[in-house]
Amino acid sequence: MSGWEIFEIWVIAFFTLALFSFMYKDNPLYKVAEHIFAGLSAGYYVGLIWDTVIITQLWDPMIGGDWLLIVPGILGFLMFARFFPKYSWVSRTSLAFVMGVTSGIFITSQLHGLVLKQMQATMQSLGGGGGFGAALLSIIVVVGVISTLIYFYFSKEHTGVLGVTAKVGIWFIMISFGAHFGYTVMGRVSLLIGRVQFLAEDWIGSFKYIF
Amino acid sequence: MSFWEKAEQIDRRWVYLMVGLAVIVPFIVPAEFPISITPESRMLYDAIEELPDSCTVMVVFDYYPSTIAECEPMTRTALHHFWRKDCKVITLSNIPLGGPSMAESVTREIAREYGKVYGEDFVNLGYKANYVAVLSGMGTSIESIFPTDNSGTPLSEIPMMDSIVNYEQVSFIFEVADNATADYWVSIVNAQYGVPMGCGTTAVSAPKYYAFVGSGQFVGLLGGMKGAAEYEMLVGKKGKAVIGMGVQSLVHLLIIALVILGNISYFVLGKHKRRLS
Repeated sequence: MSGWEIFEIWVIAFFTLALFSFMYKDNPLYKVAEHIFAGLSAGYYVGLIWDTVIITQLWDPMIGGDWLLIVPGILGFLMFARFFPKYSWVSRTSLAFVMGVTSGIFITSQLHGLVLKQMQATMQSLGGGGGFGAALLSIIVVVGVISTLIYFYFSKEHTGVLGVTAKVGIWFIMISFGAHFGYTVMGRVSLLIGRVQFLAEDWIGSFKYIF
Repeated sequence: MSFWEKAEQIDRRWVYLMVGLAVIVPFIVPAEFPISITPESRMLYDAIEELPDSCTVMVVFDYYPSTIAECEPMTRTALHHFWRKDCKVITLSNIPLGGPSMAESVTREIAREYGKVYGEDFVNLGYKANYVAVLSGMGTSIESIFPTDNSGTPLSEIPMMDSIVNYEQVSFIFEVADNATADYWVSIVNAQYGVPMGCGTTAVSAPKYYAFVGSGQFVGLLGGMKGAAEYEMLVGKKGKAVIGMGVQSLVHLLIIALVILGNISYFVLGKHKRRLS
């Protein structure tokens, strides 16, 4: 292990422990780590966007002869007009372009790729194979989807059949929240395990090269 | 003051300490818990097994370094799985912070084990901003979106990319994500170009993506560290996820115990009556 690698490991370990120290109480070490992280992330993003968007996707191809790119370049530049209240209206042209393109791309792809496919998967045939278990699962999915949708239907008071169905919907939503919470706990614990694995294996492992 | 009243007022730092100990102790005294294989992980494994040998696949590193513990075992195991089948691997990332460099280090490390050569057996395309344009554009031409690889070598000079123009030459995409980019791989690439996809995701995102397995948009799913551990077991490459699951199970037991204690305390102290009134 080279000296530089050991230095890297110690820097990572220092910031990990500094951020963990917040669990005891707020302290200057935590604040330092937090501010360095925020500053570094912002700086990294600016550099990255400059390199991967402005230079690679705009400047270089334009210099290479693709002069049509000056149009999106100008549209992008106009966005900065928002910083000047008197001329901020100019940025609306760029925003309109962004909204139009985004809507065009997203409406079709989301509808075709997500909404319709998911609806199709909800409407499975009961006799489509898989036996009784699969048929029961299909019924539960349909009941879950309909009752949950009815829970979010607010144009009529939730009484009678509508009220009962909405209550069934609440149960489905609660079960879903429970599953999400369980997975969230698992995810957060995994993050902690990742850091402890690093500290136990890499950081403590580097002691033998130093001490 | 009763036990339950004292337990109610316990400083939360004691809970942190208990969780901390539950995580640290198994590293000193390893704890092993059985890992059962879920159908979603099995489906992913089977789908990759059924791919023709030497086909071209994409492994997408759409995760930040903060979720390495969950996501990296998935990409590592997938690379072992693909290279056992002698597949050509294209890696890329839609995550600017760390994605391309993690792809670079992980693929090169595992490539050495299988004697794979960069440019002939695998290529790292790196990162390109605006994932919607990237995913759509690669349907027409990968080279138009990534004129160079991650280290600046023109794609035209990379032998492996000679016969790969767009998604038509890609047999399978394995997306590992800790964010919503998986949605766009489904809605743009799978829906519009019909490329079969599998997904590995963080536990936080997993419940959402099970619906995509049910609809057949993902051939299988690895949910969090558990999914990664299952995949490691299936491929026969036990790694950090399997080790981590021992710790994970212990912490889960602790949290379940705390939740039960909290609920008992809630009823014993009569808080449910106050709420009802």
